[in-house]
Amino acid sequence: MTVTLPELKKGFEGTGYICDESTALTVYLTLQLQKPLLIEGAPGVGKTEMGKVLAEILQTDLIRLQCYEGLDETKALYEWNYQRQLLRIQMNRNLEDGQVKEEDLFSKQYLMERPLLKAIQAEERPVLLIDEVDKCDPEFEAFLFEVLSDFQVSIPELGTIRAHQIPVVVLTSNNERELSDGLKRRCLYLYLDFPTVEDEVQIIKAKVPAAADRLAWDMARVVARLRRAGDLRKKPSIAETLDWARALVALDRNRLDGKVAGETLNLVLKTRADQEYFNEEIGPEGIEKILRQGKDGGEATRCR
Amino acid sequence: MPLKEKFSQGHLAENLVTFTNLLRKEGITISTAETMDAFSALQQIEISDREDFKTALQAALIKNRRDHDCFNHLFDYFFAPPEIRNREEHKAAIYKKEYEAGLDRAVRELTFKGESLALSPAELAQYNNMTSDQRERLQAFMHKTETGVNVEERFRPILETVVKSHLRYCRTNQNREQHENKNSDGDYLGDVPGGSGSGSGSGRAALSEVDIQAITAGELPEAEQLLQRLSKKLAVQILRRRRTGPRSGPIDLRRSLRDNMRYGGIIFKLKHRPKRRNREQIVLLCDVSASMKQYSTFVLQFMHGLRESVRDLSCFSFSDNLENITPELKKRGGLQQLLDRVIRCSDTWGGGTNIGLSVRALMDKYPDLLGGRTSVIVVSDTRTISLDSAVKELSKLGDRVKRIVWLNPLPREQWSEYRSVESVSKLVEMWPCNTIAQLEAVLSGRL
Repeated sequence: MTVTLPELKKGFEGTGYICDESTALTVYLTLQLQKPLLIEGAPGVGKTEMGKVLAEILQTDLIRLQCYEGLDETKALYEWNYQRQLLRIQMNRNLEDGQVKEEDLFSKQYLMERPLLKAIQAEERPVLLIDEVDKCDPEFEAFLFEVLSDFQVSIPELGTIRAHQIPVVVLTSNNERELSDGLKRRCLYLYLDFPTVEDEVQIIKAKVPAAADRLAWDMARVVARLRRAGDLRKKPSIAETLDWARALVALDRNRLDGKVAGETLNLVLKTRADQEYFNEEIGPEGIEKILRQGKDGGEATRCR
Repeated sequence: MPLKEKFSQGHLAENLVTFTNLLRKEGITISTAETMDAFSALQQIEISDREDFKTALQAALIKNRRDHDCFNHLFDYFFAPPEIRNREEHKAAIYKKEYEAGLDRAVRELTFKGESLALSPAELAQYNNMTSDQRERLQAFMHKTETGVNVEERFRPILETVVKSHLRYCRTNQNREQHENKNSDGDYLGDVPGGSGSGSGSGRAALSEVDIQAITAGELPEAEQLLQRLSKKLAVQILRRRRTGPRSGPIDLRRSLRDNMRYGGIIFKLKHRPKRRNREQIVLLCDVSASMKQYSTFVLQFMHGLRESVRDLSCFSFSDNLENITPELKKRGGLQQLLDRVIRCSDTWGGGTNIGLSVRALMDKYPDLLGGRTSVIVVSDTRTISLDSAVKELSKLGDRVKRIVWLNPLPREQWSEYRSVESVSKLVEMWPCNTIAQLEAVLSGRL
């Protein structure tokens, strides 16, 4: 499963994941050095998508571990199937030699593999996506970086299980809390920013081919302007832009104007405060102005 | 390939180690393992491509977005074409020479009865940074003191104290100006290849690390955006739904039995009662005297972002009197309107400071706000009139509330210079808070 840099770039193109050269190179280095990749960035810039796309490019399984507060080893690594063990004990009671040996009960058939163990035991090198790692507890994070550095797990009843293949590990973080130095040290680092207007147009056209050119440009400009607005509680993500594009295509629109934008903007602005902000500060007139400026080339293309 | 040959000969390895040392001197933490990763990364790419080379180093060495600017600056300097590098080194050498000459001159000029005053290198450097007028005025004062009637050797400590205070005063005044003049080159390069050693991490580019007082008018919009981002981030953390951990509270026997009925009454899974979380009441006291204005504005902006997440939040401004600004904070509308309203309506904004009187007023007028679940956060540099009364009132307040957290905008290294800081810090939990990053760190740990 060795990929060259041009192959990887081609793979990104093929899957419709638009990224710049440095992103592709960082991912390539991750694959070559067999190090985990830590991706940080605002919500909705395509961090999780990177893991999915990588699995698609490498034609391998994607194993996903969603982190949350309270996540522990039993949910992430392994757990014994107590119910099955109990049934086995009770079934054996009725047999003549009713004794059950302890090693029978703690064998692999009673082991429930969770994502980390599944990734370690996979025969083919999988992509392990550890999503929103900043949401897990620091204790779990410490445990995680031990697993990620050695790629082996010790189960007291079974012994040490070593990885057949070092998985491609992608960790994502919304930067809600600072991750430990230990974890960061073990990873290569990539910061994903919101795309430029040009890149977003490409993304819209790749994911929603039915969207007209003009519509894609108009939407990308409006979304970039919204992301620059400091008072928005939640900036529109790429996925939301795509939903908006699909909705406008369904409405048979091939360009955007203030009225249509005002009517459908609830697809990208999802809190009441943000919608109020839009109505008070930007409004349909503001959208028209943005579109006019964009047409004249007077608008900065990077969103922040 | 010549570059590859160099690589094998260790030239690049040496350069890489020097470069990582330089990054470390700017406050970026880089382990040996990361340096080795960077090394391995370089073996995987075509190192003659400058952009690829930079990306590889950045991915392996820089693990925080706010360090990117610092990295970019140092990279552009360190891996610059030879002619640019020589020019910069030449500039750095001249700067170093001038700096050392300046220190020598300061030692020669700041004397009393023919002997140099006991001043630290930082104080000597400060003397050097003063304008010629300021230096002449200070010298004239020293000369007058030295030649005065009955001036003996025992006056030396007094003179030293006066000179030190004067230098400190000038440093504070020059702070803003110096900050504006300090361009990014000077900041990052210093005496490269040795590095500037300022330990600033993301350096000038990271506004969150800059002294709030030194943030210039031009940088204010950016700083305000940063504050908004940080307070939003913190608001999300506060509001985040907490999932009850598997072993959070005491065992709930009833639920355990009921849940384990399916296993024939054998208890496999214990159920616990969730922990009770008491909602905390926050009382924020912002010193809005003239010296504290900018800090307090920033804290208010921060709290404005949190107003919907922290439900029991009361805000007061104080200088020589106390004023309740909670209604202003809770009103809808933009931040600028809030600050305008507070400044326009406030009687306390920009006055002198009397902490004792203000704390007394808080206890007398708002007794309902103070109790066992109240945390009082005070933003003040502790400088006040009638310190003894302030200490007495703070001690009383401390007995009535859960804790008092004091955010002090004075840098920690200056705390020992102020008696008020020493007295107050014995009664409260005091944290330095002169940068946005510190403000965020302290508040996120305490809300």
